Amino acid sequence: MSVGSGKRSARGLAALGALAIVVLALAACGGSGSGGPNGNTTSSGTAVKGGTAYISEGTQATVNWIFPFASLQDFSTTNFQGFMNLMYRPLYWFGKGATPDINYSLSLANPPKYSNGGKTITITMKPYKWSNGETVTAQDVIFWMNMLKVEKLNWAGYAAGTIPDDISTITTSGNTITIKLNTNANSNWYTYNELSQITPMPMAWDVTSAGQSPQACGKADYQSVTVKTSGSTVTPVSAAAQSCAAVYTYLTGQAKKLSSYATNPLWQVVDGPWRLSQFDTSGRLTMVPNPKYSGPVKPKLAKFVELPFTSDSAEFNALAAGKLDVGGLPASEITSNATTSGTCGLKPGANNVRLSSNFNLVTGGTWQANYFPLNFNSNGDGGQAGKIFKQLYFRQAFQTLVDQPALIQHVFKGYGVPTYGPVPVCPTNNFASAEESLGNPYTYNVAKAKQLLQSNGWTIKPGGTDTCSNAAKCGVPAGTPLSFNLQYVSGSPTEDQLMQAEKSSWAQVGIHITTTTGTFDTVLSNAVPCKACSWEFANWGGGWIFAPDYYPSGEDLFQTGASSNSGSYSDPKMDSLIKGTTVGNASLSQYEVYGAKEIPVIWQPIELGATEINKKLQGVTPLNALTNINPENWYFTK
Amino acid sequence: MTGYLIRRVGQAILVVFGVVLLTFLLSHLYPANAAARAALGPKANAQQIAQFNHENHYDLPIYHQFWIYAWNIVRHGYLGYSYKYNQSVRSLIDERIPKTLVLIGLSTVFALLVAIPLGILQVVRRNKIEDYTLTAVSFVGYAMPAFLLGELLILWFAIDLHVFEFEAPQSNSTWGILADPRGWILPVFSLSAITIAGFSRYMRSSMMEALTEDYVRTARAKGASASRVLFRHALRNALIPIITLLGLTLPAIVGGAIITETVFNYPGMGLLTTNAATQNDVPLLIGTTFIAAIATVVGNLVADLLYAVVDPRVRYA
Repeated sequence: MSVGSGKRSARGLAALGALAIVVLALAACGGSGSGGPNGNTTSSGTAVKGGTAYISEGTQATVNWIFPFASLQDFSTTNFQGFMNLMYRPLYWFGKGATPDINYSLSLANPPKYSNGGKTITITMKPYKWSNGETVTAQDVIFWMNMLKVEKLNWAGYAAGTIPDDISTITTSGNTITIKLNTNANSNWYTYNELSQITPMPMAWDVTSAGQSPQACGKADYQSVTVKTSGSTVTPVSAAAQSCAAVYTYLTGQAKKLSSYATNPLWQVVDGPWRLSQFDTSGRLTMVPNPKYSGPVKPKLAKFVELPFTSDSAEFNALAAGKLDVGGLPASEITSNATTSGTCGLKPGANNVRLSSNFNLVTGGTWQANYFPLNFNSNGDGGQAGKIFKQLYFRQAFQTLVDQPALIQHVFKGYGVPTYGPVPVCPTNNFASAEESLGNPYTYNVAKAKQLLQSNGWTIKPGGTDTCSNAAKCGVPAGTPLSFNLQYVSGSPTEDQLMQAEKSSWAQVGIHITTTTGTFDTVLSNAVPCKACSWEFANWGGGWIFAPDYYPSGEDLFQTGASSNSGSYSDPKMDSLIKGTTVGNASLSQYEVYGAKEIPVIWQPIELGATEINKKLQGVTPLNALTNINPENWYFTK
Repeated sequence: MTGYLIRRVGQAILVVFGVVLLTFLLSHLYPANAAARAALGPKANAQQIAQFNHENHYDLPIYHQFWIYAWNIVRHGYLGYSYKYNQSVRSLIDERIPKTLVLIGLSTVFALLVAIPLGILQVVRRNKIEDYTLTAVSFVGYAMPAFLLGELLILWFAIDLHVFEFEAPQSNSTWGILADPRGWILPVFSLSAITIAGFSRYMRSSMMEALTEDYVRTARAKGASASRVLFRHALRNALIPIITLLGLTLPAIVGGAIITETVFNYPGMGLLTTNAATQNDVPLLIGTTFIAAIATVVGNLVADLLYAVVDPRVRYA
């Protein structure tokens, strides 16, 4: 069938996966499109009810998990944003149009109220219903919290000291939940990074075998679920806690039976706008509307189908053959550069001629900071690499030679946005400060980079290797060369071009970089925090995606000793600024400006996905900025 | 014959063991936590990585890991667990093997049906325009990369002409795949095209050799017709090397299936292998390599045995 017939015309962890997953590309889109003026994709036509939309799951990413209490290995954008969130709504919905804000109108609860200096949170549930007729209650939230208490080590979002460790008590009264914390919390941080993790669970899931009546976990009081923590082991103590452990074991066991996803009655109890009607183990799935969905926007499509693809070309072929309504356009098939206006304004170029008659091309920004770490504890370069990296002047010179606007134009064909600091500037949002939004503190300037090095005791040899000639100024012994190794992710032509272009740029002032490649996992495995190890620069190709930690604070990235602080960056002032954004009342602005100027990592441009949308499929844009999709908004036109 | 069979089976087991050992060792050349990182992603902390390594025995010495792996295969037929698919490697392979067998079977049959008559035609019309043309076409087919041919076929017949589907049937059942010829014709043709080129060249030379044999001369001297000589005497003997070739070509066909399945999004063993390799799914990669090794060894063994069956002059000791 032809495209547009309406029948068959079609918590982000893995940073690299961001580029491959079309759901993410979708979410990345800022709502600008090639289909009309000002980037709109609207077309004239009469809306029709029904029809089937075919969308791509992206390449190298398939749905393989259905239980929304997932461990890290199952915690992917494809599983959550592209699948589970459509059926099992999180307590709070994130992404408001193209902005990365919380969306209270689509949330299961009203805005949380913070009192007692940020130590008490009151949440009131909205009157939502499960598809089995039961009400989505405050106790359904407690069910999830009880499970978290017992199985926190199996929850992907868990980090020591955060939810549930920071909770003193939780009580319910009617449809209201009151959470008391051990310490004060920044309300934005707690809502965006902690409450964002909760997904209420139906009492129908409080079982340890099929057809059983509810067990003791779901209805239990939060305080009655007691555990004993010893080192890295959590042991359930109370009967309620033991029940939670048994329920968890049963539900995860059921979630491993992929072939039963569409038929298992457990998974048919939903509170989202969609329920699963077909699923095969390759990840191909069909969803149909949940007729009892009580949210504000009811589905208009009769169903939608998600299709897995193994390669960019296979996905492109599907688009060209008219078998997809929404899919990613591979970078190799982009035939015309996108144009920019301002920092975040992006207008796609002319669409690929094979697709232009039936599709609109859209693009936009992901909620991501792209960077690669440098190892401050590296004993490479004759034992001096780490010491060199600790010199701010060196980091400034190095960053000054990264010409992000030019790289975006020439390597990404215009489909990219820059990263100038730890808080994403694009898509336009309320978190980035005015100062950071003004632009790059280290604009491309070869002369400036040269001057920075020369004035700090280095003898410049353009095209060669600089050496330190004044130890007192350099901060390292005389004779030390500026020669480093950079390992970057293999298999990406654009990453190859990017790294080679930057290598040439650094060579202009005599910073000699030897590049090697490794798989994503290899690079990531090498780039671990250490007290003394040899890696110097490591680029896994994606930096950090803020999901489900939607609040772009830096406690995971740049705080001393943080697990994802790959380069072992340590700065008391940075620690203090970060703390102010998590437990204090500080906004992000001081932290982000300091982070942009201090260069704890080497900031890199972000390559954006280009997404094709069938011209007869409406409601897809503006797209969710935080990787969620809302097919209930979609409809075909005649 | 029995002794020969026992020796060959013993050799086959050794070869398969060697392949598994080698693949296992190669897969462990990755950095220490690569498997955990592959499964858990960039946000995993040291504790989560340690827990993953412990649960999957990655914290044991490599010989101990291999012993557990080999014992699980022998005792339980367990090939490990794929975290990328959230399924056991065995169940994934069980699901995909029939589909690949369909693809390989159809393409091999099609290749033989086309290549044998082509080879004969070239012999009959030896050194004439038909022979030269087919030789040229064969060389083009032989030199054509499978991925390029696949992409061109999709471009022409699926996207431009809409005659066939752009991808292979996605049905979970073998019958579901067979019931959708618009989906499987292109991948089957793509996979067989290269084999046709090779087989027809062998068939041509084999027929030419057979036609110089004494028994052919005798048949002609006894007044047998040209077609009788060709089909009754020469062809039957000329087919014998093709059987051997078939066995020897099996690894190449399996290799070709990897590319063809990837290009056509065909949910078989080839695609599974490609995904395992590109997603660093080590348990799955070792599992698919294990199966490919068995297929290759068995294919060669069967070819050798068939050779003895069809050619009474061959006797194994």
